[in-house]
Amino acid sequence: MSASTAETSTVGTAGPGTAKASRPRRRGLRPDGPWPWIFVLPTVLGVAVFYLWPILKTFYLSFTTVGVFGGSTFTGLANYLTMFSDPQIPQSILNTAIYTVIVMLGIPIAVGLASLIERPGMRFRGLYRTLYFIPYVTMPAAVGIVWRLIFNGDFGPINWFLSLFGIAGPYWLATPGFALVAVSIVGLWMSLGFNLIIISAGLREIPADLYEAAQVDGASRFRQFRSITVPLLTPSIFFVSIITVVNGFQLFDLLYVMLGKSNLAMPQTQSLVYIFYNEAFLQNNQGYASAIGILILVIIAALTAVQFRLQRKWVNYV
Amino acid sequence: MSENVSTAAVLGQNAAELQREARRPRRHRTQSNAGAHTVLLIGGLIMVSPLIYQVIMSLSTNQQVESAPPTIWPGVLQWHNYLDVFAQMPFGQELWITAAITAVRLVGQLLLCSIAGYAFARMRFTARGVILGVILSIIMVPAQIYLIPQYQIIQGLGWLNTVIGIAAPGVFSAFGTFLMRQFFLGLPQELEDAARIDGASSFMIFWRIMLPLASNGLWALGIITVLWSWNDLMWPLVVTSSAGSAPLSVGLANLQGVHGNNYPVLMAASLMAMLPILILFIVLQKRVVAGIGRSGLK
Amino acid sequence: MDRRSFLSLAALSGVGLGLGATLVGCSSDSSGSGSQASAYTPPAKSLKATISYAIWDVNQQPAMEKIIKGFNKIYPNVTVNIQLTPSAGGAYWTKMKTLASGKNLPDVLWMNGPNIQLFALNNQLMPIDSLVSAGQIKKSNYPSALVNLYTVDGRLYGTPKDFDTVGLYYNKDMLGQAGAAVPTSSWTWDDLKTNGKKVSDHFGKGVFGFAGDLTGGQTSWYNTMLQGGGYIISSNHKKSGYDLPGSIKGLQFWADIIAAGISPSMQQLTTTLANDWFTSGKLAMVMDGDWETAPYHQAFGDKLGVVQLPKGPKSNQSVIHGLGNVISATTKEPEAALAFVSYLGGKPPALLQADAGVVIPAFNGSQTVWANSIEGLDLQLFLDEAKVASPYPISKNTSAWNQMESDILPAAFAGQTPVATAAKKLAEQMNAELAKD
Repeated sequence: MSASTAETSTVGTAGPGTAKASRPRRRGLRPDGPWPWIFVLPTVLGVAVFYLWPILKTFYLSFTTVGVFGGSTFTGLANYLTMFSDPQIPQSILNTAIYTVIVMLGIPIAVGLASLIERPGMRFRGLYRTLYFIPYVTMPAAVGIVWRLIFNGDFGPINWFLSLFGIAGPYWLATPGFALVAVSIVGLWMSLGFNLIIISAGLREIPADLYEAAQVDGASRFRQFRSITVPLLTPSIFFVSIITVVNGFQLFDLLYVMLGKSNLAMPQTQSLVYIFYNEAFLQNNQGYASAIGILILVIIAALTAVQFRLQRKWVNYV
Repeated sequence: MSENVSTAAVLGQNAAELQREARRPRRHRTQSNAGAHTVLLIGGLIMVSPLIYQVIMSLSTNQQVESAPPTIWPGVLQWHNYLDVFAQMPFGQELWITAAITAVRLVGQLLLCSIAGYAFARMRFTARGVILGVILSIIMVPAQIYLIPQYQIIQGLGWLNTVIGIAAPGVFSAFGTFLMRQFFLGLPQELEDAARIDGASSFMIFWRIMLPLASNGLWALGIITVLWSWNDLMWPLVVTSSAGSAPLSVGLANLQGVHGNNYPVLMAASLMAMLPILILFIVLQKRVVAGIGRSGLK
Repeated sequence: MDRRSFLSLAALSGVGLGLGATLVGCSSDSSGSGSQASAYTPPAKSLKATISYAIWDVNQQPAMEKIIKGFNKIYPNVTVNIQLTPSAGGAYWTKMKTLASGKNLPDVLWMNGPNIQLFALNNQLMPIDSLVSAGQIKKSNYPSALVNLYTVDGRLYGTPKDFDTVGLYYNKDMLGQAGAAVPTSSWTWDDLKTNGKKVSDHFGKGVFGFAGDLTGGQTSWYNTMLQGGGYIISSNHKKSGYDLPGSIKGLQFWADIIAAGISPSMQQLTTTLANDWFTSGKLAMVMDGDWETAPYHQAFGDKLGVVQLPKGPKSNQSVIHGLGNVISATTKEPEAALAFVSYLGGKPPALLQADAGVVIPAFNGSQTVWANSIEGLDLQLFLDEAKVASPYPISKNTSAWNQMESDILPAAFAGQTPVATAAKKLAEQMNAELAKD
């Protein structure tokens, strides 16, 4: 995968400075003998059997028409041709991208909140961390039902709140556009706690002396935040954004629970994985579903590779 | 041999020092934190409000939950909903199975991901980058792709309806391997080099020096594994077919009827299922934050 | 009566005497042969086996357990393990397809209309014609629409378990306050619209006269399409009926009542389902399945009424659907599975289901217990409807065109696309899909 090779080259340098190659290749002097193989063998075997084999099988099936209960006939590129002419596909890629971008807004929010929590002399840190982390622990099916009620157009608390200001709220979960925003808000809500913990942890790694020096120089708090906190947090932010993209493209359960069947807003809300599941398990179209699965793999791999390339431009490793 | 041990001891001391340094309290400042508390409290309330709503629903009658507009406050609190959970599902037994599955996955991932992560970070071998890339690609496809092939494998092994069968695929984790690799990359190279000069074997370096240093990373991986395993639904649903072998997530899903749900009991059960890991988080959160912080993630 | 003959047969074969219409051999110990041969002999009472029974409704589990107890009085050594999997999000069928891919389908399982042809035509199920020819099961004991539902290519694959038909429920208080008439069995669509409008106008914003569940067709547009004189799918399951003029009338009905403000909008009906509008006292009349009787009665008591569906241009027909008990083609215990399914098709399980009150049992004559289960409500209408009801529309890959319905129809009901255009588009897509079967 190009993703990992790009990444190996930059990430391997843990020393000061951002460029490659500052460390001499000491490792090269002394090979590790059979040990690396012994170390990776269990994982490689397990991954090969339980994960790689299904992916290879999916790749093969994407060129076939599959019977509901097994058996397949080779149909060449037919599934891919169908996929490229299916208007649902580009729309759902767009939906997924919008969802991911909105959920990513949670990253700056997490940075802001974490820097408040990790402020020097701050009390109740444990309480705050727990409050923000709770949504990450919830069961999606149960919490989806709750959010469905919260976003209800006629009786939900959100529209009630808006009505206090004379605003007639929309039918959040049944209006194209709004439905995607509502689902994204829930996605953001669920992931914020995880992001916050990662960012908090990153904050604690920033040496206190830097702030002290800045204070001596008379830098304002905001200035310190911009010039010290954010740059030094970039590795954590980078990690969180990788995870957000990978997870964003897996959006699925929330759509089922929150939107339900025959929803007018579904075409403008459904994700690629939602279409994949529908085709594979509800419409018994596994060959076509496999092609969609491969498309998802290619998109995420490409995005990850791009993120790793771009990281050199903005991520600071200390 | 004794030399190795002593090196390790010295280095271990270094590590302890490093950790102490990381935990060193920051100097207090004079500025007031009242504004920060206000923002955090309001934000925190918004975050937990859906859960509060869930708690209220769990104490209402089904009719109150289903009415439109929903009843905001149930009046008479229906505490018996929590007792009803035990009548409607074998909660204790399912909790036990969930815990067992989680334990197997936890031990497996901590062990396998740390050794593989270390190898990918610090050892040189043929096709390292390619193998890592292939492993990473498995987190990039929809998880549902694995369902049927994994079922056939577990069936072939005769592991259906067993804890091992449910846990097996989840013992191997691409994400965990990646996380641990990042962690080891973040550890100072010097410790390792010193041990090498002393003639320690690769395994001894890993086991005696690097793994103890990685304990914080293991905490991070551990909590992520536990959370994921606890809520995992589709896979256990497919591999378990006898009532006595299913975990909590499946038991919760089974509470949903075709026409007419008992929402309050459903909500009570899901809160009860969530409680053990919430407690775990509250107890461990300091370690988790420290763990993820040190995991390098760079 | 059927049970008695079954019992005696079982008892007789238990002591080694053969008996039965098309009996070939009399050995009760000839294991396995019974399933394949056209002749069926109930196995010996001493039969020892363990079989699995897959179901998806937790609310029916207690009744199923009682039924198994009854079965065990005849076959004490056959253990039946219930496997409950929820239907929510398609979990049950995802699981069954995965299990079938490993040739590991539960021995006996619940089946529904949309999936019967899929499983039967792909050789996943064991035909049970031998039970019929042996006189263990009489097709005349069930509504014929259900027997047809579970007959694929001339072979019967399951014993009908229960059925649903659709009625018009109403809230007497709301109708009275609005000065609207109470529905009768002679109502027409126009009566429904006129009186529904009265309710909407009387109460104003947020309260409505009439609605149906438009997230699926069973309790709403499937019925009105029949009533308009159309059909959903041809009886040979090969051709879509969506573009027929009568069908379009039935679809237009829903677009009209939404446009007239008689019903909540399509958006309102997807986020708050029709039955929730009704139970909350914000909807005076609702078309819904018989399964809602108990919850509705719990909410309104004697303020609740229910009548047959109003008459459209053609009829007042309802669609009928029901579950079946089927046997896996790969079962390792065909004797026990056949004996169990045969028992499930009899009267005692039907009576137990009627008693539980969750569903209407399919066995004719056992339903009166259900029809009288709620004092003050005459539920006979659901049984009457069943006699003339049209079977639930299915084909080999039903869910494929069900998805098309969900994709295309909501916009038509909401008035965003003309109904006729949507119906034509749906018929085209559906016919293309049916051509693949």
